[in-house]
Amino acid sequence: MPESPRPRVAALALAVGLVLADSSIVVLALPEIYRELDTSVSGVTWVLVSFNLVIALAAVPAALLARRVGPGRAAAVGLAIFAGGGLACGLADELSTLILARCLQALGGAAAVTAALELLPATVGSERRAATVWATAGATGAALGPAVGGFLTELVSWQSVFLLQVPVALVAAVPILAVAKHEMATKVIEREVRQTGRPHLWANLALAMVSAAIAAALFLLVLLLIEGWRLSPIEAALVVSVMPLAAILGSRLTNLVGDSRSRAAAGAILVSGGLAALAFLPKATIALTMPPQVLVGIGLALVLSALTETALGGRAPQAIHGGWTISSRHAGVVIGLLVLTPIFTADIEEQRHDAINAGTAVILDSPVNPLLKIDVAEKVSERLDDEQGKVPTIGPAFEPKPDDPVERAEVDQLQGELQDQLDRGATHAFSTSFILAALLGLIALFPIALSRRVDL
Amino acid sequence: MSGEDRGGGLILIFGSILASLLLVGAYLAAGGSSYEPKKIQDPCQPREWSDPQNLGQIANQFTNSALDGAACQLGVSRETLAQALASPEARERFAERYGIDDEKLARAIRAGLVRAVDDAEEAGALSPLIAVPLRQAVQRIPLDQAIEIINDAQGFLGDVEGFLGPAKGIIEQFLPGGLEGLGLP
Repeated sequence: MPESPRPRVAALALAVGLVLADSSIVVLALPEIYRELDTSVSGVTWVLVSFNLVIALAAVPAALLARRVGPGRAAAVGLAIFAGGGLACGLADELSTLILARCLQALGGAAAVTAALELLPATVGSERRAATVWATAGATGAALGPAVGGFLTELVSWQSVFLLQVPVALVAAVPILAVAKHEMATKVIEREVRQTGRPHLWANLALAMVSAAIAAALFLLVLLLIEGWRLSPIEAALVVSVMPLAAILGSRLTNLVGDSRSRAAAGAILVSGGLAALAFLPKATIALTMPPQVLVGIGLALVLSALTETALGGRAPQAIHGGWTISSRHAGVVIGLLVLTPIFTADIEEQRHDAINAGTAVILDSPVNPLLKIDVAEKVSERLDDEQGKVPTIGPAFEPKPDDPVERAEVDQLQGELQDQLDRGATHAFSTSFILAALLGLIALFPIALSRRVDL
Repeated sequence: MSGEDRGGGLILIFGSILASLLLVGAYLAAGGSSYEPKKIQDPCQPREWSDPQNLGQIANQFTNSALDGAACQLGVSRETLAQALASPEARERFAERYGIDDEKLARAIRAGLVRAVDDAEEAGALSPLIAVPLRQAVQRIPLDQAIEIINDAQGFLGDVEGFLGPAKGIIEQFLPGGLEGLGLP
């Protein structure tokens, strides 16, 4: 009786989902890492940048290697390296160690993901079906990543985000080992006979730009929610889950319109529209982040699938072209993070300064009894120092409240106004970065316009 | 690409543009472009005194006028100066950042206190009888005491009112402009 391909397909999908989730799974853990490893926003960004940079650089060479040594072996070894890197990440007690371990994870991940695309056609029976399984697994992983990361960070620790990946990667490697053994025993490495087409420049360029915008959307929104609006990782995970849910809705639209360029253009416009709306939030309220997230989510489902389809369409070998799309997407994430991090870091500092000044003005102008005011001002100042540059929770500075109802009402009003100024500063600090990210999405329309699908 | 496909594609693109514009437009209309921290006032511009109902309100406005006057002279904002005067460490950081020594700070704060007395007098919160000696007194006080007055204007004004209140009429009658020797803080 022939062996069922299901466990192998599931293992390959799990491997792809796991590796591509790793690009985003750590986003909600970043504020915790930032605090625990006593680093800066720019420093902690490298936990994301290093992983994406190494994948961007290694994806195509890894695909070539997979074809040379055999995709089964490449995938199995890749997953083992990925698991080892995850273990090292979980045990890291310094930022530099964590970043190095992330690079190791990315190397293994690049090998596993590109080899999976080489293995899937033979396992599922067709290149088209293989591409669909590969893209769906990747999108599901990327979509679930932030929520899973948020829950693990809050319920266990940021280290658990990495440590949990170790057994999952090893479980995924087991069914693939059979292929690797078969390759070693027979010394036969299946190769694509056809080698058609150079990488699709315009589709891959557009993928890079759109990925930069999407990465910025997720990264900036998470920072705004946790660092600016003081949400817990689980709360933030629930809030940003709107994006993947909307992406599921968007993937249904994919079937309604066949023209991939139109889907890509509409997706890029929606991503940019959502980002622009996030730049102009009229209040620091979670509900107001929902409509922009819906636009970004639907947009990313449309644009990523359409551009991947165009980039891979009729080209072979799939692993190499898949390597190029992986490389473009992760290079885009790196560019987005590297361009926007210094901008919003400077903006956060400036807005913090403006918010503290505005808060001081609110305290000075308040009708509250001057002695009570001085007490509040001292406690707020202490909280600002304790929070080391982050937006503080000011509630405790107003305790205990005065017994006199008139004074109490004045103090409540002062607390509300002060919190409002801090919220305004925190929210406004992200505006320029969201606008720039929206522009990146709009600029992607140029390569999209040139990215005609050519079946070779 | 079929005509139907092209039509569907165009609908999708225009739908996306419309949805994006509607959302961004709604957020802008709701004040999204101005949702930022309150702009702080130029300390050199006069700050209007509201009609004070009690000593606490006079003290608040007196402090603000004094800070405005000192900040204007130093070329910083009222808020920056208030933060600097909150603790000795904050004062040191302020001095280092703006290159302002204690002498310069003392001169500015005294000038600020004079402006506060002027404003209080103009607003009718201080009688000229109290304002005159107070103005002279604050021009001579040492830096630490001047800072204390700003931080606890209520205590300072309470002392002044308490001391002068019962005797105000007599002093006005018999000692116009001659209160320097009364040992005011």
